[in-house]
Amino acid sequence: MSDPTVAEGWVAAPLTRLKDDARLISGVLLYPSGRAVGQFGFSNAADVMSICALTSAINASARELGRQLDGKPFYEMHHAGAERQVFMARASAGAQEFLFVGVFDRESSFGVVEIYFAEFQKALERLHPEKQATGVGPSGDFEGELNRSLDALFGPIGKR
Amino acid sequence: MKALAQVVATLSHVPGVVAAMVVGATDGLIVETSPIIGGAGGVTDPRKHTAALAAYLYSKVTRASDAARLGTPAFMRLEAERGHIFVVGARDVVLVTIVTTDANLGRVRLEMMNAARENS
Repeated sequence: MSDPTVAEGWVAAPLTRLKDDARLISGVLLYPSGRAVGQFGFSNAADVMSICALTSAINASARELGRQLDGKPFYEMHHAGAERQVFMARASAGAQEFLFVGVFDRESSFGVVEIYFAEFQKALERLHPEKQATGVGPSGDFEGELNRSLDALFGPIGKR
Repeated sequence: MKALAQVVATLSHVPGVVAAMVVGATDGLIVETSPIIGGAGGVTDPRKHTAALAAYLYSKVTRASDAARLGTPAFMRLEAERGHIFVVGARDVVLVTIVTTDANLGRVRLEMMNAARENS
């Protein structure tokens, strides 16, 4: 399993630990705007780009669905496929919100992923730099933000 | 099939059992649990972590047992400094107990084996 590649250095250690402890196959940490912060298990920027876009959209839909059905947003989602399972959840550090999506198989379990994700969340809270990263909010330039974050993870296009 | 709540209630009344849980064998999530006996207020509840990790460990033990051609494990006991964790498989669930060091281990084991048999 490959080590995480990150756009912000401080998330590398918590991501590595989450990957190892929860025995995740792959995972992406991103801002709700769709900008990737770190990933592991992917070698292709296009895959991460798709996952970021889809996770961002699913998160927005799930929140609204939760509001409609339960009066409060849904923050966590789990889908169990025949072979692999997807876990998606919100994490926060200070005022900053993140989304995480991870994939696991029978080598792990939903319960195990949940408990190590809770530890990951605490680590983010603890390690998050006091100074807010600039430009983390939605700027309206979704594609540009996404491409910049992918450049940080995989290198500029042409060098990937 | 004995109701899961009844299984948990029976196990939790055995002297020395701190908590008894019925846990999903594949997802590690708690299906039914007893309160923690003697659990101090303010201390982090250990049940969710114990349930997930015990079910995970049991699945690995099952694979090890298979690899050694020993068949399905009948009972798993983890001995630690300040107590024990017992795990027994019963079809789609595992029964998990957290037990003190001074408990009657034989009785806890017997009750868990009986409960597992009744749920199989």
